[in-house]
Amino acid sequence: MKFLEWLFLTISPCDAAEPWQLGSQDGATPMMQGIIDLHHDIFFFLILILVFVLRILVRALWHFHYQKNPIPQRIVHGTTIEILRTIFPSLIPMFIAIPSFALLYSMDEVVVDPAITIKAIGHQWYRTYEYSDYNSSDEQSLTFDSYMIPEDDLELGQSRLLEVDNRVIVPAKTHLRIIVTSADVLHSWAVPSLGVKCDAVPGRLNQISIWVQREGVFYGQCSEICGTNHAFTQAVSRKDYGSRVSNQLIPQTEEA
Amino acid sequence: MATDTAPSLSEQYLLDKDGKSDVGSKPVDLSKEESAEEAPTAAIEVKTEEPAAAQESTGTTPAAAEESIETTPAASSESTEAAPASSEENNETAEEEKSGEGETSEEKPEIKLETAPADFRFPTTNQTRHCFTRYIEYHRCVAAKGEGAPECDKFAKYYRALCPGEWVERWNEQRENGTFPGPL
Ligand SMILES: [Cu+2]
Repeated sequence: MKFLEWLFLTISPCDAAEPWQLGSQDGATPMMQGIIDLHHDIFFFLILILVFVLRILVRALWHFHYQKNPIPQRIVHGTTIEILRTIFPSLIPMFIAIPSFALLYSMDEVVVDPAITIKAIGHQWYRTYEYSDYNSSDEQSLTFDSYMIPEDDLELGQSRLLEVDNRVIVPAKTHLRIIVTSADVLHSWAVPSLGVKCDAVPGRLNQISIWVQREGVFYGQCSEICGTNHAFTQAVSRKDYGSRVSNQLIPQTEEA
Repeated sequence: MATDTAPSLSEQYLLDKDGKSDVGSKPVDLSKEESAEEAPTAAIEVKTEEPAAAQESTGTTPAAAEESIETTPAASSESTEAAPASSEENNETAEEEKSGEGETSEEKPEIKLETAPADFRFPTTNQTRHCFTRYIEYHRCVAAKGEGAPECDKFAKYYRALCPGEWVERWNEQRENGTFPGPL
């Protein structure tokens, strides 16, 4: 009963992890859609191979029996089958590699000029976000810390270990540049729905380009073992906004 | 600065390209800035002229109307030529100010979403050097053109967009103390 409840009665937030989740979270970027498609493509062939291999295995075990087949076959060589079973399995990974590499390199590609740069700076154990596109001096920038909401302070409907006090707000359908770095130890900025996982290395700026297709709140967690509170590091969530950036970002930069 | 002596590898990588490209790009920027300064006044003049001319044309003889027709297109074409240059440069500040009370759902007209462009010199995930180079470019530009030179503003915008605030603070301190590791 409990298991059935897990299976069918979970309220899934779609852009966050859910109990007993098997598949990916719903994609919100072309990248994540590419990842999901690749996964499905590969899985099709994977199932074919699995069925084929299982059939051979079970059949061999089934027929290897002292009553049904008292005298086993004495074959130890077969040139044709040996060539086939060497060449064919080596071709399969090659055909998997082609779409895989295409996807991999398209992830690194920075094709267009981004419209917004957001800096995500990892700390033990929170994230600092900087929006500095509108600065006119070194001091003023829209900077805020994003802490996870502790378990005791959660309100009904909020996800444990995921909800944060300050969400990152980005526009939909806009090219974004996320600069990921760290101020202390290795962290990793990851949002599964966006197909993003980027190491945060102190002293180094890693760039990722994303293009969010739809509005929503997207959750993620630190993906690098970074200390005691690693599990409740940061929940990066993103909410799409219409005029929210101009409402929040600009007045704050002017005040700051 | 380090042009006479043989530059180190990092200096070659950082400076030579940048210095040359700066020289190439600056006159363009200068002309833009000049036109931007001129344009608003020109636009205002046109606006003040047009109503007066229109009044004349309606109130008085056809000859005045012809004159007004002759003058206004010329004035307006001047304004349209000058205006785009000014709008490119000035819209950022003007729209930022306007968008303070923005309440519509469209984001594009409210603020100009603009940041440091993708740089072909730094096509990889690692953008550390991009940030550093832009910081140096800005300070070299300031050293060459003087403090507050408008053509250096874009470099300032770029490095502020790319570099974490902490880094910039540290580098500023190092420059004050004369211990900045980069070539300035
Ligand atoms: Cu972490």
